Amino acid sequence: MASQSLSQTVQKRLPTEAYHFKSRHLLTYLCLIIGAFFAILPFLWMISTSLMTLGETINRQVIPANPQWQNYVISWNEAKFSTYFLNSVVITAVTLTGLLITSVLAAYAFACISFPGRNLIFSLLLATLMIPETVTIIPQLLMIRGQVFPLPFGPSWMNSLQGLSVPFMASAFSIFLLRQFFATIPNDLWDAARIDGAGHLRFLIQIVLPMSRPVLMTVTLLGFIASWNAFLWPLLVTTTAKWRPLMVGLWTFITEAGAETHLLMAGAVITIVPVLIVFFLAQKHFTEGIATSGLKG
Amino acid sequence: MIKARFSGSRFRDILTGYLFISPALIIIALFGVFPIIYAAYMSLHRWRVRQGNFLGLANYEAILGDFRAALVFFAALVMLLIAYWLYAEAFKGSKQRLGFKILAVLLSLGAFYSASRAWKQMMASGDDDFLESLIHTLYYALGTVPSQIALGLLIAYLLFQNLPGKEWFRVLFFLPYITPVVAAATVFRGMFSERMSSLANQALTLIGLEPQKWLAESRSLPELLFGLNLNGFWEGPSLALLTIMIFGIWTYAGYNAVILLAGLSGIPKNLYEAAEIDGANAWQSFKNITFPLLSPVIFYLAITGFIGTFQAFNHLFVMRNDFARGTVDVASIAIFDSFYKANKFGYASAEAIILFFIILLLTIAQFTIFNRRVFYG
Repeated sequence: MASQSLSQTVQKRLPTEAYHFKSRHLLTYLCLIIGAFFAILPFLWMISTSLMTLGETINRQVIPANPQWQNYVISWNEAKFSTYFLNSVVITAVTLTGLLITSVLAAYAFACISFPGRNLIFSLLLATLMIPETVTIIPQLLMIRGQVFPLPFGPSWMNSLQGLSVPFMASAFSIFLLRQFFATIPNDLWDAARIDGAGHLRFLIQIVLPMSRPVLMTVTLLGFIASWNAFLWPLLVTTTAKWRPLMVGLWTFITEAGAETHLLMAGAVITIVPVLIVFFLAQKHFTEGIATSGLKG
Repeated sequence: MIKARFSGSRFRDILTGYLFISPALIIIALFGVFPIIYAAYMSLHRWRVRQGNFLGLANYEAILGDFRAALVFFAALVMLLIAYWLYAEAFKGSKQRLGFKILAVLLSLGAFYSASRAWKQMMASGDDDFLESLIHTLYYALGTVPSQIALGLLIAYLLFQNLPGKEWFRVLFFLPYITPVVAAATVFRGMFSERMSSLANQALTLIGLEPQKWLAESRSLPELLFGLNLNGFWEGPSLALLTIMIFGIWTYAGYNAVILLAGLSGIPKNLYEAAEIDGANAWQSFKNITFPLLSPVIFYLAITGFIGTFQAFNHLFVMRNDFARGTVDVASIAIFDSFYKANKFGYASAEAIILFFIILLLTIAQFTIFNRRVFYG
């Protein structure tokens, strides 16, 4: 009897507990939705405005009556985005290739090869993360102009692919991320590779890299974002349109188009879309890679 | 650090090691380390586009004004740190050392007084644009970093409930961080423009408030809200700077949330279970378990956040408006102006070196202050 009444009380209490459980979650969802709304509000406003007519942007319209898709075409042509878009793609691809090669090699050496001064050099490398860009940018510009020492490939690197890419072909942070991962690779694998007569380079390419796909993705994505979104350096280095990347192109467009908000927003959408595509395809690597890097730092 | 790992022939190993690190090291040394030394060299010269005479510390003197005042100011800051240390020391151990506390309070009062006096002297004889830009930078840092972290913590806590759809929310919150700054700042320029039709002004009129000039407003918040006309350091950030702070918080809150969420997931569940058995409520377990165990992550975010705000440039550059009358010009913008607009390379280098030392000092100060509070699990 006693046990029956107990189970009855449990059954009686269950619905209320289930109700509590749900109402708490409802509140969490509500907070999350409000937060997410503010996070994406600028994107919604940008897209909505980019499809308006000039009159609609002035008359406090929230949503365009008829989406003006031609805004994108006008913006693309007026801002000369075809050149800048291609420039950005080439600069990003070249920078990323260089970045990956130098970072993988250095990270492998720091994680897996022992040589004198290794730990000291690695600590010094991490210390360079503290150096602010504002301090280095003036001498960097003089260097690129060829005013500090003579440069290979031409007297000046202004308005050139090498000037835009070479300074960013190495990153202490990428080396750090990769090294942390490479350091977890077991010794047995190297022993086996040695018996098969493999050297460091072959071991790195055939064994280590295929194992490190997640961290390589993270480093690639971070490098892509940094290169695609770069602004101050390309602004200083490109005085002509020849190698000007998309972000500087957008800035020139802002200063020229001024009050034509709808065209500006169409331009902003054009520069953001490639990043969004890459992000949505690989968002897991982004968030998880950044989360773990933050915890280790 | 891992000791001798995969070893082949010793000599070949050493050679391969140096060979592998050299491409990265050469680039970082050339474009990361060498420029600092060169900037220091430039800062000692008259250098307008081309190198001129050796000037010694004249550039620095022109920026900081009275050197003695600058030294007093610096000493006052160190005194504040010592006062903090004394105060924290007073709470250590079982004895309440009243003398320590009184000493600390007196010391910090004295430090505040001499710092503000020295600052006035520096403003009187130094470069107003740069010194004011340092105050704007401080406003910007204090206005963004703590709220970014608090908001990030809140979002992380909500996401941590592991509700269905959590992944999607995480993606949405992370979106602002990866968006190109120039594009996002362009969008904010439109949303917070002084026009009546801008989104911010529509929202204000909707709730019955007067429209504002936002990015074009040079008046400070205390003046706008309470009609207070304060001067110098206590003037407060302008509405234009506040708008840019909103941008900064919007960009980094979600990023902080993602990192804090990973930190939350690393806290052992059984601690919470034990606390629940002992009758702790949600706030108590947050205060006594979550916060201490998360403190290294918060510390990391605070340090990188502060350094980040002192380097912030792109969005400020895009959103600055002539009508804001320089109230949004932070240190990096001031340096850019004297370098790019005025072509004073040596002078700008001196400003950059000063900024570098401020960042260094702040980092050290944060380490000493936080170190006694951070719990390393």
